[in-house]
Amino acid sequence: MNTEKIMNCERERLNKITNFRLPHTFWTIGIAIVTISIITMFVRAFVMEGDTEWLKEITRKGMLVGLLLMSISKDKEEDELTIKLRMQSYAFAFVVGVAYALIMPYVEFGVSNVVNSGGEAYKDLGDFQVLVFMLLIQLMSFHTLKRYR
Amino acid sequence: MQNTIKVERAILNLTQDDLAKKIGVSRQTINSIEANRYVPSTVLALKLSTLFNKPVNDFFKLSDDD
Repeated sequence: MNTEKIMNCERERLNKITNFRLPHTFWTIGIAIVTISIITMFVRAFVMEGDTEWLKEITRKGMLVGLLLMSISKDKEEDELTIKLRMQSYAFAFVVGVAYALIMPYVEFGVSNVVNSGGEAYKDLGDFQVLVFMLLIQLMSFHTLKRYR
Repeated sequence: MQNTIKVERAILNLTQDDLAKKIGVSRQTINSIEANRYVPSTVLALKLSTLFNKPVNDFFKLSDDD
């Protein structure tokens, strides 16, 4: 196989991966998983007692999986305009997500020190917080762009 | 980019929904193209050309800011 053939093969494979979308039914499955995760989070916080860290981890992962399914599932009427809007929403979510990860720790630190003197120490955001924020921004901006198309 | 798709559609007596179904896009996409909010791909432009039986240049025109 010559170099050009290898490059074409790589390009096709990359295109296939980047254009991958799940069928629209996965949108509903994603909503169901997110809803169950949120309900479980509330139950864990207000009803359950004892060591429930394992459940916290499961619900966090569940929420991320649910939001990801919603994000990568096709629209009911998927066409080139919705594909373009989805790409725009990913770009927007990425930029906003990075800005959020950079600014938010300072906001949290500042607010906590203003509210109680000698408040919390500075700490970075967790991966869960940043990823959920980015996925939510992507889904919201995609649906807003779709509404105004 | 400006277009006269609305006129061409009226000549064929098609609604936005009819046209959308014929070229395999959503009605909102046709609405966005007609309102010059979205410039379609070459594939979609050629599908429209086949449907209207006219060259693409007849219903898509470059504007001064293009």
